[in-house]
Amino acid sequence: MGQWFVAPILAPLSRRLVELLVLLFCVTTLLFFLVRLAGDPAVIMAGEGASQQDVAAIRQFYGFDQPLILQYVHYLARLARLDFGQSISNGLPALRMVIERLPATLLLAIAAIAMTAAIAVPLGAWLGARAERPARRGAATLVFIAQGIPGYVVGLLLIQLFAVELGWLPSIGDETRVSWILPTLTLAAFLVPKLTRVVATSVSESMNEDYVRTAAALGLSDAAILWRHVLPNAVLAATALLGTQFAYLFSGALTTEVIFAWPGLGRLLVNSVQVLDFPVVQASVFVVGALVFAVNALTDIALRLIDPRLRRSAA
Amino acid sequence: MTTARGVLPFRLRLPLRAPWQLMAGGIIVAILVALALFSFFAPPADATRGSLLLRFRAPGTPGLLLGSDQLGRSLGSRALSGLPWSIGIASVATGIALLLGTTLGVLGAFYGGRVRAAVGLAVDTVIAFPALVLAVTVIAVIGRGFWPIAITLGLSTWPIAARVARAAALGILARDYVTAAKLLGVGPIAILLTHVLPALLPVLLVMAAFIFADMLILESALSFLGLGPPLSTPSWGNMLADSRQFLTQAPWMMLVPAGCIVVAVVGLNLLGDGLAARTQARMTGMP
Repeated sequence: MGQWFVAPILAPLSRRLVELLVLLFCVTTLLFFLVRLAGDPAVIMAGEGASQQDVAAIRQFYGFDQPLILQYVHYLARLARLDFGQSISNGLPALRMVIERLPATLLLAIAAIAMTAAIAVPLGAWLGARAERPARRGAATLVFIAQGIPGYVVGLLLIQLFAVELGWLPSIGDETRVSWILPTLTLAAFLVPKLTRVVATSVSESMNEDYVRTAAALGLSDAAILWRHVLPNAVLAATALLGTQFAYLFSGALTTEVIFAWPGLGRLLVNSVQVLDFPVVQASVFVVGALVFAVNALTDIALRLIDPRLRRSAA
Repeated sequence: MTTARGVLPFRLRLPLRAPWQLMAGGIIVAILVALALFSFFAPPADATRGSLLLRFRAPGTPGLLLGSDQLGRSLGSRALSGLPWSIGIASVATGIALLLGTTLGVLGAFYGGRVRAAVGLAVDTVIAFPALVLAVTVIAVIGRGFWPIAITLGLSTWPIAARVARAAALGILARDYVTAAKLLGVGPIAILLTHVLPALLPVLLVMAAFIFADMLILESALSFLGLGPPLSTPSWGNMLADSRQFLTQAPWMMLVPAGCIVVAVVGLNLLGDGLAARTQARMTGMP
């Protein structure tokens, strides 16, 4: 172990960190100028029907009466200290509100990723192992069509079936354990078709490799070949996909949380955006960026831990 | 046949021996575009005006093929009049994503060094951020409406196009005829325009279909979250959002727009898949 093992594994992190900083800088700068382009931020923040005094007070409190460049410098300085100010709706510190909502979203995402893997890896392995058989070709077409169904439509269909028609499962909230089922399935629906296709492709490609032919010639059973030689490659491809698709999954969390009234970060962001609660929106965007960074960094590390080839090429 | 071969740098012989995905996808997309044009020039009147005597009618009621909603408005007409909005936004957004993505991707492939590094950083950075979060935030600030939504969606998805275009362009630039052109002293702009771009066209076509499908989904998700067109304009996402209160009374209010979205997206995906098989475009980097 030692330097030669740790360094290649951590090598991609510096690049990810640069990306995170560029991303946060661009997004916060974009927000800063968009808010000011869209009109008088004091008027927007005060909301409809606010009195002249209220607007003036907000303008002074947030420093909107100062020169733009000075406002921008102050803004960046405050962000660097992770000071996002208070929510306009309820006066609570914005960052704390966001952090409090984070666990619900994270747990839902982890549950959905686990569910995705549990469905997509066996299905993909089955589809890819004998891809030329008609039944599996038909199933692959179904998976392809399923990819065209937006995840939130799946959510509405699930509610219609299991909550309205059958009355088996609750459709909102996260109070009981069963109320996790539908949101988890919905969020999983965003990635299951993609992951299934990736696993199937990887498996069917591996099946044509020399080492699989050699293993078969040596008398290994089909199951042994699949488990020992083919699936490890598919798991690599699946892990890589989950890393790159986490941002997509988070987009899905936005609609999923709204549909199921899930007390997570996605619904907080949508609600804050609708009432133009900028401190909370900014804190949310900041945390989402950091979250995506963390997930991508963890995937990078996981891939390098599983796959020795990546360690060698990075060194 | 010969005319198609003259204009396009690849052979696009459509009927007969085309893959079934291309046929099915092409037919679905053609019907959608025709309906969108029809509905744009002759908007159905009962999309926004309904009769309270005809509330919550199930599909199949005479005169209401797809049923009616809580205000007695025809769901079929509403789905139809939402079409120009969705197709229009998706077209503009796809155009922006392709134009920006292809330009930057090809430049990144052609010029090495700092240009490639800068494009790579920009692509990786934007692609890592959830597109819907960006769109929701920006649209809430600058306001809803056709152009804000279309431009925002285009600007949040160009990295996908850039990544694919860059990978394809790298392959094309390594071909012998490009090297020959370089050796003959052809300038960079001429090489890009006469050799790289035409060879890139099949990839761009395939990518356009897939990105268009993504844009339809994103647009309907935005509408669903209340950030789409004004509520007076029926859009598929608005209709889905409306339907949530009436799931027990009128499930068809959800099923009609949901079905429209699924058919459109599947049609586009089929078209993209069929085109890819037909033109043998390699889609390296497409998620």
